[in-house]
Amino acid sequence: MNMTINRLAPLMLGAVLLAGCAKPPAEQIDAAEKALKEAQMSGAAIYTAQEYAKLEASVTAMKKEVTDQDGKFALFRDYGKAEQLAVSAKADSELVKADAVKKKEEAKAGALQAQQVAQEAVKSAVELVASAPVGKDRAALEAIKNDVEALKASLNQIQLAIDKEDYPAAQAQSKAIHDKGQAVSAELQNALAKVGKGKPSAPKKK
Amino acid sequence: MAVAPVRSGLVALAQGFVLVGTLSACVQAIPPELVSAIDRIDQQLVALKAPEVAPEEYARFVRQWVPLRARVQSDDDLVRWPWEANELEAELRRLHEEGGSTLAKLHSERQTQQHRAQQNVLRVEERLRALSLQVDAIDGRIVLGGKPVQSDLLVKQARSFYDQHDYQRAIEAADLAGKALRVQSALLARELGRYADEQHIRSWQAMAQQTIDWSRTHRSTAIVVSKAERVLTLYKNGNKVVSYPVRLGFNGIREKQFQGDGATPEGRYRITDKRGAGRTQFYRALVLDYPNQDDRRRFVQGKKMGRIPLAKQIGGQIEIHGVENELMAQTLGCVMLDNAQMSALFERVEQGSVVSIVGALTGRNAVATALAQLGAHGEET
Repeated sequence: MNMTINRLAPLMLGAVLLAGCAKPPAEQIDAAEKALKEAQMSGAAIYTAQEYAKLEASVTAMKKEVTDQDGKFALFRDYGKAEQLAVSAKADSELVKADAVKKKEEAKAGALQAQQVAQEAVKSAVELVASAPVGKDRAALEAIKNDVEALKASLNQIQLAIDKEDYPAAQAQSKAIHDKGQAVSAELQNALAKVGKGKPSAPKKK
Repeated sequence: MAVAPVRSGLVALAQGFVLVGTLSACVQAIPPELVSAIDRIDQQLVALKAPEVAPEEYARFVRQWVPLRARVQSDDDLVRWPWEANELEAELRRLHEEGGSTLAKLHSERQTQQHRAQQNVLRVEERLRALSLQVDAIDGRIVLGGKPVQSDLLVKQARSFYDQHDYQRAIEAADLAGKALRVQSALLARELGRYADEQHIRSWQAMAQQTIDWSRTHRSTAIVVSKAERVLTLYKNGNKVVSYPVRLGFNGIREKQFQGDGATPEGRYRITDKRGAGRTQFYRALVLDYPNQDDRRRFVQGKKMGRIPLAKQIGGQIEIHGVENELMAQTLGCVMLDNAQMSALFERVEQGSVVSIVGALTGRNAVATALAQLGAHGEET
């Protein structure tokens, strides 16, 4: 009997020591936090806000689990669940990041397309102004020319919004410029139709 | 004889049932409807764009919901002894209550924000419409340069954000549009304020009266043009003969400063030439002696003061004429009448007659009225 106890004691001591050595899964935790940061950098907080919020909550839960285990007597610490949460958070972060990147690209593509449509509308208006007469009949077009110049200048705002990756603003600006560009073109065509009724004449002093 | 064993068997069976019954009382699942209700709150918070519009509140909610849901999914907390408190269920109920409050609060805030956005967008749209109408009515569009387009774009953006349910941005864009519209009104008031200025009005009235007196004294015809009302009045021997509507330069509401500005000059002029058929492209024309001495003095002064660019010329060939193209609404700076009225005027006036072009003849002129209305509207915005 004594022999058996003597043999088992080192084993039990070893098991106790091993259990006492349980440490937080630092590598997995770091990886999860890094993946979360990368998801955030990819625009997840904007483009996949709901998923990102849940991801942050998962990481918070993981940290809480680590803290809970840290607070226990060394022999009873078990970081298995924390490790599981960390692995899961990392995997989810990667998915959310991929989704955010995709949505951001879609938003960018939408903004660039809207920008192009707006540019074309302004270009049409500019071409119409260029085709207008320069003689006395330009009176009918002077106010519209101001509008076209202002529209041309406003195209920069779309680019600024795109540069700032504010694609919703770029889309809204593009739509506004496109609509206004079309209205100005219609007004120009109307004015040019009137001018066309008159005869061309040489510029005069006024 | 065999009754005793049967009875004891039944007793054992009954005891077994009681034991099973007691054990089954230990197993108590979390009410699934509670979990579903919290899940619905989550979905509704997402539908209200809580992650974007109230990130802190939503983060607080999911920080609790994510681990609790994980606990519900793992079976650890689902079995308890009857004497044990069900902490998971209690926590879920607390979250349900808290989430419900957050949802109600956000819903209310969202409605308030939507209402505010709607009001602000409608207000700037109405203001833009009113301003455009007033500006067109007084031919003041050139005065504002590119500003009308800038405000129009902001108003359109505000509407666009509102339609996308992005109420915060709609409010911001509407605020910017409101500011841009106020700047426009202020610019109009600064540029055209003389139409509402008593001193200017008195000076124009005096000029018109001198012209009428000249007509009486010289037993001749004379003309007074009021730019604000866009009316030409013919006098003979000091008496009013007839009034005609006129069209002015494309920037006619302003005082002429240099060649090509599209403004119609203000001052006292003489008819230096009468151009009949074949001598003008505008049906009939009465040539004025613009620029006169006063105009030249103002021009030189304007250059000295930096109001007029040094490269600009003073311009000339200002006339009262008929129309070459009936559809044209404006001139490059002349005073234009319909041909029938121009014909009648041409027959009646003499070369050398005085023509006074003034801003306005009364304080309640069209421009002053438009400015007052814009001012009142601006205060509301």
